[in-house]
Amino acid sequence: MKYQSQLVAKPYFIAAIGLFLGQILFGLIMGLQYVVGDFLFPEIPFNVARMVHTNLLIVWLLFGFMGAAYYLIPEEAERELHSPKLAMAMFWIFLAAGVATILGYLLVPYATLAEWTGNDLLATMGREFLEQPLPTKVGIVVVALAMLYNLSMTVLRGRKTAINLVMLVGLWGLAIFFLFSFYNPNNLVKDKYFWWWVVHLWVEGVWELIMGAMLAFVLIKVTGVDREVIEKWLYVIIAMALITGLIGTGHHYYWIGAPEYWQWWGSVFSALEPIPFFMMTVFAFSMVNRRRREHPNKAAVLWALGTGVMAFLGAGVWGFLHTLAPVNYFTHGSQITAAHGHLAFYGAYVMVVITMISYTMPLMRGRAANSPLAQTVEMWSFWLMTVSMMFITLFLTAAGILQIWLQRISDQPMSFMAAQDQVALFYWMREYAGLVFLSGLLLYISSFFIKGKAATAD
Amino acid sequence: MWCFILAELLVFGVFFLAYAFARTHDVELFNASQLELDRTSGFINTMLLISGSYFVVLAVDRIRHGHSRACTRWLIAAMACGAAFLVLKLVEFSGKIEAGISMSTNTFYMFYLGLGFFHFMHVVLGMVILGAVTLKAWRGGYRASDYAGVETGAAYWHMVDLVWIVLFPLIYLLN
Amino acid sequence: MSSAFTKSAARNIFYGGAVFFFLLLIALTFDTMGQLPKRDNRENLSESVIRGKHIWETRNCIGCHTLMGEGAYFAPELVNVYTRRGPDFIKAWIQGQPTGAPGRRQMPNFNLTEEQLDDMVNFFKYTSEINTANWPPNIEG
Repeated sequence: MKYQSQLVAKPYFIAAIGLFLGQILFGLIMGLQYVVGDFLFPEIPFNVARMVHTNLLIVWLLFGFMGAAYYLIPEEAERELHSPKLAMAMFWIFLAAGVATILGYLLVPYATLAEWTGNDLLATMGREFLEQPLPTKVGIVVVALAMLYNLSMTVLRGRKTAINLVMLVGLWGLAIFFLFSFYNPNNLVKDKYFWWWVVHLWVEGVWELIMGAMLAFVLIKVTGVDREVIEKWLYVIIAMALITGLIGTGHHYYWIGAPEYWQWWGSVFSALEPIPFFMMTVFAFSMVNRRRREHPNKAAVLWALGTGVMAFLGAGVWGFLHTLAPVNYFTHGSQITAAHGHLAFYGAYVMVVITMISYTMPLMRGRAANSPLAQTVEMWSFWLMTVSMMFITLFLTAAGILQIWLQRISDQPMSFMAAQDQVALFYWMREYAGLVFLSGLLLYISSFFIKGKAATAD
Repeated sequence: MWCFILAELLVFGVFFLAYAFARTHDVELFNASQLELDRTSGFINTMLLISGSYFVVLAVDRIRHGHSRACTRWLIAAMACGAAFLVLKLVEFSGKIEAGISMSTNTFYMFYLGLGFFHFMHVVLGMVILGAVTLKAWRGGYRASDYAGVETGAAYWHMVDLVWIVLFPLIYLLN
Repeated sequence: MSSAFTKSAARNIFYGGAVFFFLLLIALTFDTMGQLPKRDNRENLSESVIRGKHIWETRNCIGCHTLMGEGAYFAPELVNVYTRRGPDFIKAWIQGQPTGAPGRRQMPNFNLTEEQLDDMVNFFKYTSEINTANWPPNIEG
């Protein structure tokens, strides 16, 4: 850590991990509700638990991205952050807004919450992932703009590298595309069409820039490979991500009332979407193989390699599995989608944020790397979480295939709930895998509290 | 640059495969719709692009011998071919649109208009790249020992040409 | 071709490619907006349907159900529920929740008025008439 102001990243990362734990707990509640339907009813109905689960994911990843930006941009720009005070103020505003929103979901009926928060003035609520009340949405925009001002000023007056420019472009894109969440036409088809301009253009667009910049930053630091090489890779990967991903939006337009040519455009371009993810895997491994130094932080290297592999599996392979229109006709809106969503979010975004945390946290706590014991525990948590997420994905995939067969393909199609009963076994196994994931996460958190002499490079 | 050109070819390749696949499912529709196309215009366009490619080769050859001026002239000639291609293509497209044909008319027209427009945008991009190269060549920015930029621009232009040479028989002629 | 692939070339491909494909997306979107009137059943977008959509949103129905395959996968697809079950069943079902059957998935009771129930039914009738390219594969959704 070269600059004092980079320390503002610390509270962002701590909040991220705290909310991550909350997300997993609500995930387990939902997982149980899949098989014990009346669990916690009517206190926490499934839709509330899901809203909390997905919104916490989004909020904690945003905390992670912001923390990462506040850490890497000053270092890349070679100057202090424009205003650390503003960054801290935004942290508290964002945390307060996030917590208040979650409490609102849990304590107030959703319709009442909508009424209180001015949803009748501008109806934006009640659409998947964009359930936040109007004030929260406005808050997200304010926090994002303040952050962008802060970071842009830092970069403008400092050194401009590929990494901080890409990070900045990604964050600007994130803020700009979020504005589509305020557009909610009465026409359901148009509503859904532009809803994807937030959701798809985030996760398969600008977030990939953020992810690429974060991964490139950590790889430069832990491998010592020449910046020119890494930045060239970064540009090529994100270029491919946008080239395939922008028109790849079409794979969401097959069955929502949009013209049918999207089946062709979406299939062709999203068939190519695994390429940037595959390049990312190759990138991570070849950089680590060509390393010029042994970094004492082995755990961070493991997370960096892991995100390369798991992003490819989750986003690339599991995405491709059901992206072609003739396949998607049967898989659309089934547990296959859930399987893909879990592995892709974990492999791409969760793991890259943890990579960043794993690399920066020891530095912000005044050492190059954690003690060997703390790192061993952290690496155990890596394997527990990663393997259990793989199993969650496999069980959901099995459930999905069976569900599709029973409900959509067989000669005597079953009703939705009848098919759900048939696949209950896989839901139980998913829940057990989820418990393993939780234990991995708890182990991960505990690794921060393990003392001992810092590891050295050898 | 090569990996990018390969990626572009891959995209078009996948589209061509998709076309072939779709065609086998409805050969009659494809054949019937194909007859409504203006083959003359397509043929002239093919000639234009091939000539453009040839001029670009000449431009590279000239700069290799250090002749900036001649290189610039050939590049402009290539761009003129590109511009003529774009005009003809626009006439063709507007004729179809006036006839009420769109990408949603049928699968054949989805490919004809979609792929055609996609390629059209590539020609525009190729023109932009050649334009930038021409400007630099005109200012004497390349010499016999350093003409990588001209080669890169030429490579991209050849790629655009190559795609058309596959696209034209596939969509206009193959019956 | 001896030209080495430089970082600035990679950067240009990134910016150029991003602009190029974003313009393509906008062009396709423009065409889509022109085609939508033929497919999206907008002529039946009555006041009641619009109110129904609002109820759909403010009760967070998408948190359990899918609509055109989008949403949560906990409860049945509803784009075609109007054809699958019919108006009377839908109203009775919403009013009859929660079933309270032990161990079964539960849907909250939203205390909708008779008029709101009609709005929901009209909304589902409208969604069932959107041209979704024959999705879902069968009536079960």
